[in-house]
Amino acid sequence: MATHEVSAPSPALGPPRLTEEDQARSADRRRVHQARRQHRRWRLLWLLAGPGILAMLGENDGPSMIAYASDGAQYGLGFFVPFIPVMFLMAYVVQEMSMRVGAVTHRGYGELVLQRYGRIWGWFGAGDLILTNLVTLVAEFVAIRVGLAYFHLGSGVAVALGLALVLFTLSGGRYWRWERIVLGLAAFNGLFLLAAILVKPHLGSVASSLDFSPFPGGGLNTLLLLLASTIGATVTPWMIFFQQSASADKGMTPQDVAHGRYDTAAGAALAALFGIGALIAGAALLTHHGSGIEGFAGAGFPEALRRVSGGAAGTVFALGLIEAGAVAILTISASTAYAAGECVGAAHSFNSSPRSAAVFHAANVGVAMLAAAVILIPGAPLLSIALNANVLATVLLPVSMVFLVMLANDRRLMGRWVNRGSTNVVAIAVVCFVAICGAAYGIDSFLQAVHVLRA
Amino acid sequence: MSEEPVIMSEEPVIHHLERDQFVAQTSLPVPPVVLGARARAALWALRVFVVVVSVMVLYTFIDQLQ
Repeated sequence: MATHEVSAPSPALGPPRLTEEDQARSADRRRVHQARRQHRRWRLLWLLAGPGILAMLGENDGPSMIAYASDGAQYGLGFFVPFIPVMFLMAYVVQEMSMRVGAVTHRGYGELVLQRYGRIWGWFGAGDLILTNLVTLVAEFVAIRVGLAYFHLGSGVAVALGLALVLFTLSGGRYWRWERIVLGLAAFNGLFLLAAILVKPHLGSVASSLDFSPFPGGGLNTLLLLLASTIGATVTPWMIFFQQSASADKGMTPQDVAHGRYDTAAGAALAALFGIGALIAGAALLTHHGSGIEGFAGAGFPEALRRVSGGAAGTVFALGLIEAGAVAILTISASTAYAAGECVGAAHSFNSSPRSAAVFHAANVGVAMLAAAVILIPGAPLLSIALNANVLATVLLPVSMVFLVMLANDRRLMGRWVNRGSTNVVAIAVVCFVAICGAAYGIDSFLQAVHVLRA
Repeated sequence: MSEEPVIMSEEPVIHHLERDQFVAQTSLPVPPVVLGARARAALWALRVFVVVVSVMVLYTFIDQLQ
């Protein structure tokens, strides 16, 4: 492969021959070094921000925002207003490890698991990722379709918009360009906060919900579904693959770990804030008992909001759904592309041209096209796919997290950047919590489906 | 097993890149680690557990469709 036809750089042999990927990354790093030398702190933060915010706001995707809004419409604000930030704290713990491993090793999650622990574990991880990503991407196209339906546009437009964005962001052949375009789009996740303001919530009721009460009613299965889908709305396998690979692709180094933490923390805070925005907007429908929402069908939530809170709230929510689906299509396709390139040992960077990183670019476009094709199938069970996307991600997440914790504790890879003891305690608690919630919902639902338990 | 790190992340920079950031370096695989029997057993147990629960979720999904 062209990108690999260079000798290993050695100071003794003079400057190494640079591949196109090296050259692009070198240009990005030059600006970082300049900013650091000149003590331009805000510029440095601007240059190093990206993977963390994109992972977190990418996970504030269509299904997640509809899940938050549904929670608000069915149960009100209580419990969820404090619960969402707790979930994003959990996401921060996971994503910080992911960023740190990427910055220290300069390698993606998929290739490290495959090379360090063997092909079986590497391919299992990639298989989990492709399954959950494909299901989630279908749900993203459905979310865009729901948003567009508000403006009387159909599935064909949703497919064209999603695929055009993937092709447009890939066209520059630079990681930096891709990242900045997606960051620009992700800023519009703030529309959910605007939607919350437009429904004119009672601030007292928002403040009084901070004590985790009232606890959502309903049966055990409902509670487990809420937990599993909310976890799936905040941490998923693709985020782990994405942030580690994107941190390496961006050229982050151990010197940048502190800024990587700011980036991840900012992403978590913004995602929690905008998620609560969707919850508050959805809660405007509570007094109507969630009637007319229709979930992922028709114009769903935006149309229901328009009837209750006015046209502006409905329009902003619809635009928010289009943005949430579009950004997630870009980040989830990217995580699939990184995993595909890493697992087959091919070039995997936005800084490589389609010719030298054919697998990476083909996987990026191919997975989006496959998901787009599903939503065009007449009678496809899109509603069920969208509702189960987060739950499936939660069920498959523990394995990815265990390997991430193992990598972050691998002293030969990480040197002095290994996990602290306190990080391990929190990370293991998170793994156990996710595994228990996912398994409890899976087992309980299964027993109901086979009529061993009464629904 | 040696405790020497296999990735040297704090090398001097060349062309604004650390030595182990070059494609020529990152394309070289990191050496595999040999997991102990207990670690392997725990990982397989977790994998089987996750597959079983996933099948349950997929069964429920298909059942809901009907």
